[in-house]
Amino acid sequence: MAMRCADDPIPARAGIGLRFQHHQAVLDSRPDVAWLEVHTENYIGGGTSVRYLEAIRPDYPISLHGVGLSLGSAQGLDAAHLDCIKHVVGWVEPALVSEHLSWSTVSGRYLADLLPLPMTEEALYVLCRHVDQFQTCLRRQILIENPSSYLRFRHSTIPEWEFLAAVARRTGCGILCDVNNIYVSACNHGCQPSTYLAALPPASIGEIHLAGHTVRQLDGGRVLRIDDHGSPVVPEVWALYVEALSRFGPVPTLIEWDTNVPALDVLLGEAARADALLEHASVRGRHADAA
Amino acid sequence: MPTLLDVQRAIYRSLAEREDDPAAAYIIADGLTAAARLSIYRNTFVGSLTTALRLSYPAVHRLVGAEFFEGAAANFIEQHIPRRACLDDYGAEFADFLECFAPAAGLPYLPGVARLEWAVNVALHVREVDALDLGRLATAEAMHHERIILVLHPSVGLVHDAHPIDAIWRAVLAQDDVAMAAIDLDSGPVWLLVSRGKTGVEVTRISKVAWRFTSALRAERPLQAVLDAVPDAASSAILADHLARGRLVDFRTIANADAAS
Repeated sequence: MAMRCADDPIPARAGIGLRFQHHQAVLDSRPDVAWLEVHTENYIGGGTSVRYLEAIRPDYPISLHGVGLSLGSAQGLDAAHLDCIKHVVGWVEPALVSEHLSWSTVSGRYLADLLPLPMTEEALYVLCRHVDQFQTCLRRQILIENPSSYLRFRHSTIPEWEFLAAVARRTGCGILCDVNNIYVSACNHGCQPSTYLAALPPASIGEIHLAGHTVRQLDGGRVLRIDDHGSPVVPEVWALYVEALSRFGPVPTLIEWDTNVPALDVLLGEAARADALLEHASVRGRHADAA
Repeated sequence: MPTLLDVQRAIYRSLAEREDDPAAAYIIADGLTAAARLSIYRNTFVGSLTTALRLSYPAVHRLVGAEFFEGAAANFIEQHIPRRACLDDYGAEFADFLECFAPAAGLPYLPGVARLEWAVNVALHVREVDALDLGRLATAEAMHHERIILVLHPSVGLVHDAHPIDAIWRAVLAQDDVAMAAIDLDSGPVWLLVSRGKTGVEVTRISKVAWRFTSALRAERPLQAVLDAVPDAASSAILADHLARGRLVDFRTIANADAAS
């Protein structure tokens, strides 16, 4: 495999989430996958994980995906955490940096989840200020991911898809479109996933996430979908992914798998399936251009 | 209309303090109670932190089993909400917690094993630091020992326990039932040094004297005070061992007034 340059962009192909269970296997086998994504917070310290990533990163473009900055916190960003992220970005030289449309910290305590924001003008203002601060600190564009959600607030006034599009428009950030999260949230809240996709500006889409989720049966025959990243992508999400590609064109696509992490080959199989759909979208795009 | 901060404080009370009412007032029920919706987030919150503890304390987890561990973790999490988003740093107080956790009272070695595992965890995750350049150290030798502070590698940890916690830790992680059965809990106290070397984290039994000497180094006391803590004959050998294994990374000098105090 040829060495890559640090500023190589991530191609419009499938990548996989690199988790510690696969560090050695990836280092040993150098699998044929276009790029890798890691959780920023797992590389803030030092030690074994950092040494693995240092050894792996010369051969793959890396995407840094943050889960702890809490961009939606009413009380501001944690300056120390921001410095830590800046340090990791400095040595990893990632092709993409992303975070979430969510919050997780209040009064100096971290709640270890991607918590939902009320969709209000106040929250939009706060989030945009923090995205600006993050991008200014890193001196680069970041991507913001739509989370999955299990509740809605009474006082929300803006549909989430409009909220996310507004963040991209106001700050110039890109969008990490998590197709599984759109499906999960739409099913949980009785919305149409196509409405969500249609509201996102195609030019802002910098990455797509695909993952599995579980279905919990509730009393009265209702179901709740839980985004746990612990199983294969379901057929309905693959179908929504095809719709996303038809709207956005080929976009770098990540297979996320964080719980019950399977053998590396399983992840690569899911990535190959995404690659086939990306190739199909690419061919269709070329035909459209030719016509 | 509640402010963003009102909402976030209310959700904190729900997830961390199990007081759902303030947050429930802001949430649309829609076929599922607000409390049930909040519990999904609480499950992720507790689950993420339990996983972080399990990764830092694998031997404790194996010793007590998943059910006991998860119960202890849930109690611990209620008392220790993380202050940072980096979960590698979460759980430093778990050994102290186990010391006071009544259901673990019959397992007197458990807090010690946890203390050792935390030292290993710290050693695993600290950032890389170069060993002290011996050429630089030569310049320090000309200085008065009262004015020099030697700095240990940040991975160096010291653990002391009345039980053979290192043998328990090794046997449990290796799932070596024979070694486990052979452990004599009354074999006497152990003084342990944890550090990260070229091949990974090492846990070494050291003498009580070496432990006291290294503790004084770790407290960044002036070199003379460190040397005074142990007999002359021992100090040079201990210092040479730390140097040879790259456990010293820096030195600094202090003003005379500081040295005198």
